[in-house]
Amino acid sequence: MAHGDDPGGVTVGELGREAVAESLPRALRALGACAVIALAVNAWLHPEPLPLVAEREYEVLVPCPESGGEAAPLDAADARLTSSATYVVDARAAARYSAWHLPGSRSIPYDYLEPTPPDTLCDLAQSIARSRARQVVVYGDGDAPDTGQLLAREISGHGIRNVFYVRGGAPALSASTGGGTGTEHETRAGAP
Amino acid sequence: MRALAEWRWHPRLALVARLYLGYVFLAACWHKLLHPAAFALDVATYGILPLGLVNLTALVLPWVELAAAAMLIAGWRARAGAVLAAAMMVVFIAALAAALAQGLDIACGCFASQGLEEDPISGRTVLRDLGWLATALYVWLYDRRPLGVDAWLERRRRGYA
Repeated sequence: MAHGDDPGGVTVGELGREAVAESLPRALRALGACAVIALAVNAWLHPEPLPLVAEREYEVLVPCPESGGEAAPLDAADARLTSSATYVVDARAAARYSAWHLPGSRSIPYDYLEPTPPDTLCDLAQSIARSRARQVVVYGDGDAPDTGQLLAREISGHGIRNVFYVRGGAPALSASTGGGTGTEHETRAGAP
Repeated sequence: MRALAEWRWHPRLALVARLYLGYVFLAACWHKLLHPAAFALDVATYGILPLGLVNLTALVLPWVELAAAAMLIAGWRARAGAVLAAAMMVVFIAALAAALAQGLDIACGCFASQGLEEDPISGRTVLRDLGWLATALYVWLYDRRPLGVDAWLERRRRGYA
């Protein structure tokens, strides 16, 4: 449409048809020109021309989506750890759990490579429900990253609420209770 | 609807929309133009295009963005520039939606100098692009006499006549 023409009484539908007729051919020509310029610049002006077709697959590292939820830290001396309304989980390896664990804690060893089996999480949820606990506290090895924090996030990500982890893990717990986490200590209680 | 189509403030409102959209595309294209290999990696990360089209897309797309920006800002073939902008937005939104549906945790690559921490894809990214798509469509439909180079050329032509 020529500039300055009286637009007259046009509807939106007419505007659309006019826009398509006027601008689509121009847009296609611009697209073609861009393609020619892009290829010419890449071939003759760019210091490191990109091959038009990639010679091998790009090494794309896409992090897996994390299913973890929120888990708040708790000090080893926190009174909630000894509360009857707290369900305690030990995230360390089974051997270390056997060597020492917090009385009443349940062992669910955290594996860095494999997610916790759904059956285990389902059983944990049922066990928590039966215990009528109001919060779940997880402790791990206290390393960086801490298995307790990782397992707590995984548990929280499966819909279990009020999940905490012990800051510093088993070593901090051991220090606060005056015990140790090594083999010198016997098991003080069984898992629920 | 006729009154809406003939509202006399469309050219001025569309000028603001064009300048904004042009700025967005200028900001988006310069890094991709300078570093096509990095942009090709961004394109490949979405995992949508076959390998044979990744580099070609990474080479051509930034120039289309630059052309759209120039046309929108200058007011030269502004509605064609708006078509290019809208078409690119449709492609970007589809790519983002596909990546989000797969649960990919990747950088947008929209403004290629940013990494995953600064510009991760999310529903907000899709909403942002939808806003830009709406802006481009407004310019395309309603900017019938774009203020800018075309209007100036037209005035000059009429002056000679």
